[in-house]
Amino acid sequence: MELIIDGKTCKANPGDSILNVAKREGIAIPTLCYHEAFGGQGSCRLCTVEVTAGGRSRLVASCTYPVSEGIEVKTSTPAVEKIRRNIIMMLYKRASGSVLMQKLYREYGCSENSLGEKEEERCIVCRLCVLACEKMGTSAISTVMRGIDKRVGTPYDQAATACIGCAACAHICPTGAIEVLDSGNTRTIWNKNFNLINCERCGQPFATREQIDHVSRLSGIEDAELCFCEECRRKKLVGKMQGFSPC
Amino acid sequence: MNKSLIHLLLVCCGTGCVANGAREVYQALKDNLTSDDKAVLAATTSARATGCHGLCAQGPFVRILPEDITYCRVKAADIPEIVEKTLKQGEVVKRLLFRDRQKKTLVQGQNDIPFYQRQTRVALRNVGLIDPSSLQDYLERGGYRALEKSLLDMRPEQVIEEIIKSGLRGRGGGGFPTGLKWKACAATPAQPRYIICNGDEGDPGAFMDESIMEGDPHSVLEGMIIAAYAVGASNGFIYVRDEYAQSVASLRKAIEEAENHGFLGENILGSALSFNIEIVRGGGAFVCGEETALIASIEGNVGEPRDKYVFPSEKGLWGQPTIINNVETWANIPVIMERGASWFTSLGTEGSKGTKVFSLVGKVANTGLVEVPMGTTLREIIFDIGGGVPKGRSFKAVQTGGPSGGCIPSEMLDLKVDFDSLSQAGSMMGSGGLIVMDDRTCMVEVARYYLSFLAGESCGKCVPCREGIKCLLEILTRICHGQGEIGDIALLEDIAETMQQASLCALGRTASNPVLSTLRYFREEYLEHIEGQRCPAGICRELSEFWIDPIICTGCGLCLPRCPVEGIKGEKKQAHWIESDKCIRCGECIDSCSFQAIKVK
Repeated sequence: MELIIDGKTCKANPGDSILNVAKREGIAIPTLCYHEAFGGQGSCRLCTVEVTAGGRSRLVASCTYPVSEGIEVKTSTPAVEKIRRNIIMMLYKRASGSVLMQKLYREYGCSENSLGEKEEERCIVCRLCVLACEKMGTSAISTVMRGIDKRVGTPYDQAATACIGCAACAHICPTGAIEVLDSGNTRTIWNKNFNLINCERCGQPFATREQIDHVSRLSGIEDAELCFCEECRRKKLVGKMQGFSPC
Repeated sequence: MNKSLIHLLLVCCGTGCVANGAREVYQALKDNLTSDDKAVLAATTSARATGCHGLCAQGPFVRILPEDITYCRVKAADIPEIVEKTLKQGEVVKRLLFRDRQKKTLVQGQNDIPFYQRQTRVALRNVGLIDPSSLQDYLERGGYRALEKSLLDMRPEQVIEEIIKSGLRGRGGGGFPTGLKWKACAATPAQPRYIICNGDEGDPGAFMDESIMEGDPHSVLEGMIIAAYAVGASNGFIYVRDEYAQSVASLRKAIEEAENHGFLGENILGSALSFNIEIVRGGGAFVCGEETALIASIEGNVGEPRDKYVFPSEKGLWGQPTIINNVETWANIPVIMERGASWFTSLGTEGSKGTKVFSLVGKVANTGLVEVPMGTTLREIIFDIGGGVPKGRSFKAVQTGGPSGGCIPSEMLDLKVDFDSLSQAGSMMGSGGLIVMDDRTCMVEVARYYLSFLAGESCGKCVPCREGIKCLLEILTRICHGQGEIGDIALLEDIAETMQQASLCALGRTASNPVLSTLRYFREEYLEHIEGQRCPAGICRELSEFWIDPIICTGCGLCLPRCPVEGIKGEKKQAHWIESDKCIRCGECIDSCSFQAIKVK
């Protein structure tokens, strides 16, 4: 099927979201809660665009809106820009400690206003960390509470038995809100302490025992094969491939 | 009624009356009727515990048929007298009759009480008349005849066509045409399909759906079974909030009875239709009244909405075509099928057919449940049926549509209430809450209250709703504390607009309504708070100062003992005065004064 985004005719497949198509076509739509690995959540609403379908225009989240034949999308209109500016303004108020939010606040030209006390925290509750944890098969963290008190946490804020200390949550967090403390052979994350094991090849601490066991269990790869840091694993792989080289 | 019976006694056992001792009244009645010396009475009199009679301000009720003698505010201790005088001697116990304060008369029959006279009970047709635990009672009132007619005489598409023709729109808030929803579901090829009843009534002060589930559960089941036949569904769910224990018990019993008599289960009424209904208890989160959040909750996920670019009628429960309607909508289905769409369209307005049940609460004399044809004016509902504002105070506004609704001012009392007129007035029908407010209500504080409710009840998933509510609440709070700034009104409007346009679900899109509607009709009051540093209603403490008008004050002394800080001085029969440095602005004196002599500076 075909649709028009910012005047450009684009090809699309049924089930595509507007954001998918725009990304393929190199049309930029800003996002905060979107990641290719999980698809659209429709929670930050920064990707709001204006869609005209059947003669009717409306503002929709491009990450969840399924394309249909002949729709026309405008990714930047005064209404869309105002929504994005207000979203950034409100998120900045909440997470003014985040470098990303400080940058966006300047970029969107948000004016100083009387929204009241800024908060120093960094989390914008985009939930990418929760989705990453879910994807890891651990679901140690989730959003907790409701309404304006919604936040991310472990059950009852205690060290979660399900947490394997993989820090996937911290890696994916766009605002650096999740603290991972690596010191020598210990890692502290979400109020839980882990022992880091050393890479078999370079001897540097690189992963938690729980993480290696978890990956081994899920993938069926033997523990011994997994006990290399990322760098050394790559080197090992390159070595193997050289062995197989037809040249 | 059984022919040997002389009297049928209906005891209101709705939740409100139960809280006021209705169960004890019913038990006392049973005990009195079965005691030996009244064996004749026991054989000729039947007592029935019914659902809500509606006029909750006057409960518990005992209504005696066929004479229609209605006793109000009955206590268990009144029963021997009722049995002795009314049942045995045919005398009316006058002290228990309804007192019409306007006409200063006693009213004997329920149907003669002004509160009931102007009502048209369609969804509530059986509530208060039948024993909800008795299938027999429901059948005697014509129950399951509509199912029989639909199932045996009509094709599924004819049923859908009839519902479309009736113009019935969803009673849960959205007002979407019910028949079109069914049609879309039937047209989606996927199987299985599901039927859901939304019984997650969460608006503060609303109890329309509760009364139906408690008082007439079979009408809800019958509606759902008819829909199951119309769209070809095999499973249904009733989602009831956990607080509604009596509703759950009542529905459970009804499902069991319906199964035992072949109205539910395999081959219903000997037809090819097989359909089961299961009850799911919700945790009481307001947002779970939003249909996609409710569906997520039934699926066992966190009750958070999703974008509805594809409707549940195509992709609903477990991704399957699903019809989800609210309790009151379901209760309307059997009566539409039995009496026909043209009968239903004879009630109501052009765009909103039929009747609507409202829960009338707040500063109104006759609080309770009211069912009127769509298009009835607010004035009729609040003044003619509701008996107006008590204590001689004046009407200021009525809040409609629950927390995400809006406040409508006195200039608009002649507004004919339907889905469209309320939306145009900046409010909404919602599920039918009507909260009446008098001149002792601060509209900024009202907006602040609703936003504080939503702050705890939004799901918190999307940014415009979560952060928007937080910002609005902060601004409103500071205005109420006398710290409002000149730019605050513009800021409120700016954020409210983003919430309306960009929020994920209807809760977020309407969450700013309390602010926008009060700004629309009571802007002056906001300005008085911000620029004048004064709360005209005398509610916001930092902005209120009270004084006693010496010309009006009679020196009755009523306010003196009510003041918690002994801040009112004056001799009996002489004008009193308030010592401002002692006054904590609690407003107790204002509310106690019968002459409205205490004023806000």
